[in-house]
Amino acid sequence: MLFTSLEFFVFLAFALALHAVLPAGKRWAWLLAASYLFYGFLQPSNLLYLGAVTLVVVACARALQRAARAWARRALLAAGLAAVLGSLTAFKFYDFIAGELSLPTLGLKAPAGYSFYAFSAASYLIDAFHRRFPAAHGAGHAALYLAWFPKIFAGPIERATSFLPQVSAGLRADPVRVVLGLQLAGWGLFKKVVIADNLAPIVDRSFAIAAFASPIELLVSVYFFAFQIYCDFSGYADIAIGVSLLFGLQLMENFRRPYLSRSTAEFWGERWHISLGRWFRDYLYIPLGGGRAGPLRQYANLMLVFLVSGLWHAGLGYGVGWTFLVWGALNGAYQWAGLATRSFWRRVGDALPRVRASTALAVLRVLLTFHLIAISWVFFRAQSLGDAWLILKKIGARLAEMPALLAKYPFTPDHYAGLALIALLVAVEIADERRSIFSRLAAAPAALRWAVWYAAIAAMLLLGRWQAREFIYMQF
Amino acid sequence: MRSLLKPALLFVAVGLAIYAGLYYAAERLMMRTGHANPLFKIATAREGDVDWVILGASHAMTLDFADFNARMERDTGLRILNLAGPGTGPLYNRFVLEHLLGRRRTRNVLYVVDGFAFYSRAWNEERFADAKLLRRTPSEPAIAARLWDYARREGVDPRAVLDYVSGFSKINNRERFKRDVWEGEAQFEREVRRSATALKKRVAYLYPDAASEAALSRYLEELAAIAALARRSGARLVVVKMPVPAQFLGQLPGEAAFDAALSRLLSAQQVCFADFSAALEAPRFYFDTDHLNRTGLTEFVNAGLKPILLSRDCAP
Repeated sequence: MLFTSLEFFVFLAFALALHAVLPAGKRWAWLLAASYLFYGFLQPSNLLYLGAVTLVVVACARALQRAARAWARRALLAAGLAAVLGSLTAFKFYDFIAGELSLPTLGLKAPAGYSFYAFSAASYLIDAFHRRFPAAHGAGHAALYLAWFPKIFAGPIERATSFLPQVSAGLRADPVRVVLGLQLAGWGLFKKVVIADNLAPIVDRSFAIAAFASPIELLVSVYFFAFQIYCDFSGYADIAIGVSLLFGLQLMENFRRPYLSRSTAEFWGERWHISLGRWFRDYLYIPLGGGRAGPLRQYANLMLVFLVSGLWHAGLGYGVGWTFLVWGALNGAYQWAGLATRSFWRRVGDALPRVRASTALAVLRVLLTFHLIAISWVFFRAQSLGDAWLILKKIGARLAEMPALLAKYPFTPDHYAGLALIALLVAVEIADERRSIFSRLAAAPAALRWAVWYAAIAAMLLLGRWQAREFIYMQF
Repeated sequence: MRSLLKPALLFVAVGLAIYAGLYYAAERLMMRTGHANPLFKIATAREGDVDWVILGASHAMTLDFADFNARMERDTGLRILNLAGPGTGPLYNRFVLEHLLGRRRTRNVLYVVDGFAFYSRAWNEERFADAKLLRRTPSEPAIAARLWDYARREGVDPRAVLDYVSGFSKINNRERFKRDVWEGEAQFEREVRRSATALKKRVAYLYPDAASEAALSRYLEELAAIAALARRSGARLVVVKMPVPAQFLGQLPGEAAFDAALSRLLSAQQVCFADFSAALEAPRFYFDTDHLNRTGLTEFVNAGLKPILLSRDCAP
């Protein structure tokens, strides 16, 4: 069931109505049933995969509770992780590797959202191993943690340590949370159907015919894709978080105006897909030694994290291929460059404190970071490494002539509309960076607040693309 | 939570009022930019009975491209209303004919058959939910009631009724300021450069499902219903197959079975049938893989269709 479909709105109204009338202690059971209905709606076989992962997680966690010996606990954790992450790896890569090696393929394909709930399951097992949440909660709560419908297809990759106590507390929604949830879900929907899905046709067209597209067309598409993927993915996250708030559940923030980052480290560490970044930090980077095991290990750990992140992203909408590994390696290389020059820039900043504090430098850094990330998105989006390289080469070769080419290019109304929507998004994000847009709205006179909401709803009705285009990140 | 109830209700009420305003504006705009939708044509056709109503899919639509229908009317002295729609199969055609006959009379019905339209739900039940058709369909209680009836009895998706009644596709129409012209009409004067790839893609598009006997007999029943409907209203039904290139014809799955079943049905019903499918071959007669351009259509009408339109005889 897609967030943009009529079925979802009917389902949500029904789920909320029943949630409101049930006693607090029983709500989790209804939400679990509703989550299974949501997840199995289009493809009932999806439930088999989710059920299998849930069984593994619950059984391993139970055994971990009982096991006293350290080696037994480690063995249980390893078995659980091997089952969950091993199946994820097999689903993603077996056929690709078999194809590359001319071995027989098996047609393995995991259901939508598997990448996300497999990582949630892994974090649950690791946290259970470290006894980071109380063991008292039942298997039903754990099942709800994995199946919770707003996040199942594309996250956030929530932690059980924050999710389970809220479920145990009875899932009570209050007016403030409901209003915030509605606003957040509305903004997410706007980003998805108005911005992302209006940029998508232009992007799809150019990337599909990279060899024949003009450099200017490719450049526009590279910029548009940066905003398409952001609005698509953060739109999903906002809807997931907003809808959860309607049920009294607070999920973690997943995006924090990422294109205002001043470095790629800030982009990946603090602003883009925060729940995945933290997952890698807590369950891979720190256990590997992080930055505490000497500079060489730190460089190696950073690259490893980004390579694994590249592999995790493989299959998210654009097939499985080497492009994702290169995308991960390129972002790892950005981190290396940032780390290697960090002390140099600190010294320069200390010597020139006024320059360091200037707005011009901040803007320059934001623009540089955005362009570095946009270059890496080319590998994410292109059909093959050859295509990605061709796109960058074609743009690079004509870069000096771009202003003249821009003036001559026959832009269509769709291009102008895309540009206007991006400008609107950037303006909102800049305002939001200074002070939350929702608290600004809350402080505004009611007439203005309502006018903004109606304008957003009207824009969705008039400009939104509602013809069931899937979210990019839910395609694996 | 109760403190939210009153402002929430007020918010919804104002929102509904705004929605109604958008609906009204979208309807007005649609009436200004409408053109090719069959139900729009019924709503805006000048008063009085017609001599011929043309039904079918896109092959029949070419007869109304540019000034062609006006030219046919001038040449024959007949009043012709072309109610063909892109990709519309016999179920949708029946819907249109029922709506027309609820308002006015026609002396004849010309049904242009295409095999593909008899092999898939995509061209029949699912066609009713197509936003491209819904957004150009005028809002009328009679259409809403008929659509609801089709949802109950014919397996049309009830969401199509909701979409139509709420006017959502009309409000959400991204081409709201453009005239409702089918993309083929812009190529009407062109001559095709044949391509095997284009042909393969076209055939795959027309046949999304395997050509099954069950689907064929289901949709032939719709054609029989159209024949019965015409008979009840005192109109004569003539069925024709338009010319298409041999290469296209040869690639159509299940075409021989379709022809045989169609002939059986039409002779049992004593309906006139003229098959022109092999009449014109040269590329200069087509603007794409299978649609006649102006040259081809002129040739076809002069040699084949005009005699049918003008006489009470079956054979051209």
